[in-house]
Amino acid sequence: MKAHAPSLGKFVLGTFLWLPPGFAAWYFSAQYHAAVAGGLARLLVDQFKPGIVSALEQQGLVLVFVTTLTVHPAPGQTALLLPEVNPLLYTYGLAFFFALMLAVRARWWKILVGAAMLLPFQSWGIAFDLLAQVGIRLGPDVSAQAGLLGWRREAIALCYQIGSLILPSLMPVVFWAGFNRQFIESALRRPDKI
Amino acid sequence: MVRFFVLFVVILVTLFAAELTPPVQNAVVLPWTGALARVSVGLITLFDSHVAAFGKILLSTTNGFTISIEAGCNGIEAAIILIAAMLAFPAPWKHRVIGILAGLCAVQALNVVRVISLFYLGQWDMKVFLWAHLYLWQALIMLDVLIVWLIWIRTLPPPPSPVS
Repeated sequence: MKAHAPSLGKFVLGTFLWLPPGFAAWYFSAQYHAAVAGGLARLLVDQFKPGIVSALEQQGLVLVFVTTLTVHPAPGQTALLLPEVNPLLYTYGLAFFFALMLAVRARWWKILVGAAMLLPFQSWGIAFDLLAQVGIRLGPDVSAQAGLLGWRREAIALCYQIGSLILPSLMPVVFWAGFNRQFIESALRRPDKI
Repeated sequence: MVRFFVLFVVILVTLFAAELTPPVQNAVVLPWTGALARVSVGLITLFDSHVAAFGKILLSTTNGFTISIEAGCNGIEAAIILIAAMLAFPAPWKHRVIGILAGLCAVQALNVVRVISLFYLGQWDMKVFLWAHLYLWQALIMLDVLIVWLIWIRTLPPPPSPVS
């Protein structure tokens, strides 16, 4: 049995109606998928610049990256740098994806597969948030200590912007479109049923 | 589909990287963001005279609350995504131009609503403001882009029938 494609109006209405439950499901499960996305982000950071992160901790919904970098908060004092990242900034697209998929009455396995496929892109945002803090925002001493200089800083800046401004909201739509090509193809053939 | 996706990614990354360069920031992004602030204030003053714009900042003259329109809130990234999707999709150039112009209007119109709503949400409750700003409106703007794109592809001439 194939799920039928709703009209565009019904799809939009359905998406609006599913957004609140989608956001609720996303928020109340955030602790778990943030842990997975954070773990993937750590792997990505290790690929970009090995040896910076020694451990990943989670305080509620906030990810805390334990680094090997040191800072001097006061003369004679040395502390490890523990940058924090709010994973919700990069995972909210999950709620949007739920709403889009439920609006077209997608099969549950497609929703689960899509949610898993979003994880690498969410971890991209988290990883480059951390790298932007270490490589740019915390100053030249920290970036030099981390070895993030020259082209790496430029790459971090671009990847951070893509990971924060583009990917979180775009990827749910990309995966929705990938799972619902029939809906898009039917849109091309039915200009009268808006 | 593969051709569309590859073209979409190439155009998207190119336009986005260009947007981040200082010349484009100075010539397009900052003036546009300032204009967005002025338009928002112009609309707000229709029902509330206690607001002023300073560059990209909106200020409530009643309680001093301010919001600054930053990257991600000026609708330019959403516009870039829409432009990339329309340029990558096989369509006559005339339809692309009309679609991009109309689409940009639709995206920016909703973005003005976003700015105005956030201005008042921030004065009402900061937690609600943060939720709306960081999560909800991001999704709504992208939904707007998707709707515009879906409506646009419905207006395209039908693809040629396969020859049997």
